[in-house]
This record gives sequence, C-alpha cells and structure tokens, in this order.
Amino acid sequence: MGIANLQDQNKLIRASDRSGGRVQIFPVRTAESDDRMAGGEDDHQRFARLVLPHLGDAYSLARWITANRADAEDVVQDASLRAFRAIGNVAEGNSRAWVLTIVRNTAYTWLRKNRPSVLAVVDDLEAVESAQVVTTELDRETPETALIAKTDAASLQAAIAELPPAYRETLILRDVHGLGYREISQVTDVPIGTVMSRLARGRARVIKTIGRK
Amino acid sequence: MMHATSYEDAALRVHAYVDGELDPANALGVEASIAMDPALAAERERVEAFRGLMREHLRPEAPPPGLRARVEASVGMRRPRMQPSWRALAASIAVTAVVASGATSMVVAPSGISTARDGIVDAHIRSLMSSQPIDVASSDRHTVRPWFNGRIPQAPRVVNLGSDFPLVGGRIDVVGAVPVPTLVYGHGKHLISLTAVPAAGRANSAPALSERGGYNIFRWTEGEVNYWAVSDASALELDKFAESFRTMPPDQ
Repeated sequence: MGIANLQDQNKLIRASDRSGGRVQIFPVRTAESDDRMAGGEDDHQRFARLVLPHLGDAYSLARWITANRADAEDVVQDASLRAFRAIGNVAEGNSRAWVLTIVRNTAYTWLRKNRPSVLAVVDDLEAVESAQVVTTELDRETPETALIAKTDAASLQAAIAELPPAYRETLILRDVHGLGYREISQVTDVPIGTVMSRLARGRARVIKTIGRK
Repeated sequence: MMHATSYEDAALRVHAYVDGELDPANALGVEASIAMDPALAAERERVEAFRGLMREHLRPEAPPPGLRARVEASVGMRRPRMQPSWRALAASIAVTAVVASGATSMVVAPSGISTARDGIVDAHIRSLMSSQPIDVASSDRHTVRPWFNGRIPQAPRVVNLGSDFPLVGGRIDVVGAVPVPTLVYGHGKHLISLTAVPAAGRANSAPALSERGGYNIFRWTEGEVNYWAVSDASALELDKFAESFRTMPPDQ
C-alpha cells in the first residue's frame, strides 16, 4: 500500500464521473456544435463568451502560483493569448477548467523562464509525496477545531504560501476555486488518487503550520 | 490502531467524504469507519473546520482593474489604451524592433531585463514623438543594412517580411549607454520597430510577451542576440511579426 495504491482511488468517486484516472472533460468541437453556433460567432465573440468570464479565476490562480501580482498579470495576458489561438478548436463544455488549465501551464512555463529559483522546490516533490504527512504530523485524536477557527487570514495565507507548489495548487483549486476532484485532475494533469493525496497532505501541512503559531 | 498506510487511505476517504466527492455506498462506508475510529472522527472535524476557515478568509482575489482591457487588447478586441495625448499624433500602430550587433559589449543579464526593456520602450516612444521615427528611410534591405555599417560595430540582420510587414527603415537607439540598431517595419496603417541587443553566451529562447505603458513587447534570443519587438499593435499581430522575422531565412 502506498502512493501506487492511490492511483486506484478514483474508483471511489461517483460512478457518473468515472472514466479512468485521467478524465478528458474538454469536448472536441464537432460539426453538430458548430451548427448550434450558426449565428456566425467569430473568434472574438467566442473568446468573450468562453474566456473573459473566467478572468477573475485566472488571475487568482496565477497570483497563487507566481506569488506576485505583476507576474500574475503577465501570466494571464500570455495565457489569454494562448486560449485565443486555440479558441476555434475547443467546444462548449467546461470552459473554466479549460481556461485554468492554460493559466496553470502558462504560469509554470513563465516561472521556469523568469523566476527559476521559485520552482527549485519542485524537484523535491517526490520525496515529499512519499512522506506520511497526513498521519505523522498531526495528533490524530485531537481535532483542534477551536485553534483552526481562530486563525487569521494572514497566518493562513502564509501557511499556504509555504506549501510545495503541487500541494498549493491542488488546495487552491479545491478550497478557493471550488473545483471538483475530477476537474483538478484535468487541470493539474495527474490521476484523481494523486489529487486526493495532495489535497489531504496539503491541508494537513497547513493545519500543522497554523497550529504552531 | 490501523496500520499507518491503511489509516492514510482511510483519511483520504474522509477528505473526499467532506468534499462531497463519494458515491452513496462509499459515503456510508466512511460514516461507518468514522463511527468506529476516533482518529477518523477527528480528521473529519479538522477538515470541516479547515474548509470553513478557507471559505471565511480566502475568496479568489479580484483582478486589477486594467487587466480585462489589457487582455482584450492583446487579442485584438480593442486598441491598447492611449495615455499621453501626443500618442494620438503617432501612427496608430508602431512596432519597434531593435536588432543589436555582436561586437557591442552590452550584455543583458536576467536582472537587467526590466531596465533594458524600459530603455527600449522609451526609445520607441521617443521615435514616435520625433518628426520622423527613422534615421534611414528605405524599404530596401540592401540600403538599410549598409547604413548601419560605420555607425555601429556590426550591422543587424535585415530581412524583408513581405507585404504584411513592409520594411520602413532603421535607426540607432541608445539603451543603457550602448548604441543598438533598430529596424522599423510597417503593419497596415501602423509602424513597427524592432531592436537587437547583443547577448553573448545566452541560449536561444522563444518569444515571451510582456507589456509596459500600453505597449506590447515580444522578446526572444537567437544566435546570441536579444530581439525586442515593441508596439502598440495587438499582441496577436506582434506575435505574427516576431514569427515571420524568426522564420525568415537570412538570405531570402
């Protein structure tokens, strides 16, 4: 039992959502979907309908990944351009997850190029993921809910900022943006079992950090 | 007490349960194990308290006011914002590309990128304000390139890009006290400028987009030269320009 076993966790997920560890939720554009848009929608109108409504989510995610507002703006502009180039090939469907996928990938590409030091910790992720964080870092039978509840926003944000990027993005997509596990699996390109372990470990780490304050 | 790893798996299920991700059968299974194991019950309380804390304190941060306009401008849905009134005098689009020579000693280190970018954008703006944005006006690359010889140590690569981006001429800009060559191209009713800055030892890189003061900027490195394309054209148009310049063989 261990990480490999977590790959099977998607068997737990609602049957209607299940179609393998990685789920393709972005439908490909078809002649039928084109017919529905017989009004002659151009790329700009399509962009306005599918991308612009998610600019707030896009900026928020970019801000969490880059930890910097100006960088987040550059990332969102770059990601928007990428989305625009692909706008003719994406169909109706989960446009928010599609936009967030592009933002997330653009943000890491951007960081790799412009802020390589920020990403240095990523290399340690495998070691981090093999650690039994959930079970060893917390006193199992004391929920400490009062301690959690009285944490202020600044301490919470600082604790999240300390997380490895893979834990942080999973936690943010779930608990700030409200994405389901299946959508997070798509956006971060990992199996649902990995989403589950990253989320649980990310939460456990943040709880442990705020508990020390 | 359960074995550590099976406890870990049980804990993950508690998170999925609280997140509403389990089907009814598995949800019942988790409820049963919570009833039997105080550690799992504590885990559920922790997760619920934590989710409440996140809801209370961490709303998605609102984007800055100008971001939507900036995004719309970069895909050509609106013109970039016009700030100083003199810019109305300038052609509606100017793209400045700066091409620098290898012999000049200016090296743009990563920390110096912002400074260089500011200098190049400043030079672009100055050129729009002056009576003519170019020092040598010619659509013939065999006229433009030799003009640089004798003025700077090494003439830039000059290529014709066809009717979409006709060559207009060139000028010499000064960036960080170093003279660098700038080529000026047109695009529709607009002007385009391109600047090249020597960058010995730097690896090639693909164009990266940024924006300053309403101007879109593409920067890339090729053959130890940093290229800067600056314009108030949309990022999409500027991207096409950068792509045609990069893919044009030297001896077309």
